[in-house]
Amino acid sequence: MTQRGHVLDDAWYLGYAAGSLASEAETVLVQSHVELNADAQDRVAGLDRIGGLLLDRMPVGEALPFSADELLDMLDQDDGRDLGDPGSAEATAVPAALDGVDLPPALARYLAGSSARMKWEFLGPGLRKSILWRGKDGTRLWLLKAQPGVSIPHHGHSGSELTLVLKGSFWDGDQEYRRGDVEEAHEDIAHDIRIGMDGECVCLALTRGKLRFGNPLLTAFQTFTGL
Amino acid sequence: MTDLNDRPAPTVESQELSDLLVRVGQSQDRSAFRALFDHFGPRIRAFLIQRRVVPAMADDLTQDVMLTIWRRASSFDPSRAAASTWIYTIARNQHIDQYRKTQRASRMDETDPSLQPVPAAAADDLCEQAEAADSVGVALESLSADQRQVVELAFTEGLTHSEIAERLNLPLGTVKSRIRLALGKLKTSLGELV
Repeated sequence: MTQRGHVLDDAWYLGYAAGSLASEAETVLVQSHVELNADAQDRVAGLDRIGGLLLDRMPVGEALPFSADELLDMLDQDDGRDLGDPGSAEATAVPAALDGVDLPPALARYLAGSSARMKWEFLGPGLRKSILWRGKDGTRLWLLKAQPGVSIPHHGHSGSELTLVLKGSFWDGDQEYRRGDVEEAHEDIAHDIRIGMDGECVCLALTRGKLRFGNPLLTAFQTFTGL
Repeated sequence: MTDLNDRPAPTVESQELSDLLVRVGQSQDRSAFRALFDHFGPRIRAFLIQRRVVPAMADDLTQDVMLTIWRRASSFDPSRAAASTWIYTIARNQHIDQYRKTQRASRMDETDPSLQPVPAAAADDLCEQAEAADSVGVALESLSADQRQVVELAFTEGLTHSEIAERLNLPLGTVKSRIRLALGKLKTSLGELV
């Protein structure tokens, strides 16, 4: 395995395994990352065992208001096909705007369930964005599409940002991020992002707070693009 | 919060639960399903109640989880997961799903990776995961009280990192580093079991 930054802080995996992440947007991003990254799967698998143990050790409270035989009767009558399974086999149509991107199932389902039609908007030379969701506190879940070799100049964050690579790659300093890898950027840590040369790069990002550019011209530009 | 040490030890051995689930999957064994229902049904409900799900909803969700167990039991692979782990992931995903539905009108669901078809297990692997489930308890108990507390608050009460920080009156960074320490320790002890 090459030396590269590619997994999240453990607190995210704990939140995902415990089902206690703060929003649907966080869950979609972390689950997409887990679906694409073997190391993340290992971390979650270990935590799921803790969940299983805690479930097994749950103090048993009240009796259930239905019996196993009643459930078996329901299954007999229904052939069991539609019971208790909220549409897991549901076909998901990939938005045309994401042609050529192999979407992780969690993101594909999120997009299929979202009412808004996805479209790319200009963000800068060689850069496009598509906002998927905006939270009350200025949090947004969005997609970034960048052409090979493009640089995103020196910037910081007034909040945190998670960026998951869906296609292609990018570099932040000497760290490379590829499909399934996620970068966790913290407040007041500056970045110089350079898109890899191996084709266009598509990322899913969850951003809290505005980006802060070192260059005042870019700050003006930011007002214009709404990032 | 209930301390882990105060909780009753499992009444049914992991190996036995795993065998029951395999019987449901292979031959739609009704008595095996009844035994799984008796063991897990009330625990799933108690888990949901602790996660602040209202009782009527907890009943419905427990029913859905039990029905899903019946339908998907054939995809359970005892060499890859203990029965309690497999069932936990179903319960968690359906809970998240339900939570979401009540949060917003549009729908979306969760398919857990543990439910994808997997190759048949080699015979000598079969016992290992079931035994490993019991060792998770040992691993958890090896954590310091502070470390175990953050892990348990996430799982049993479903608190986010920030909520844990608020509850314990600690900076978020401290909570995150406790989680890192706890998970690092668990990784070391759990890693040996894989």
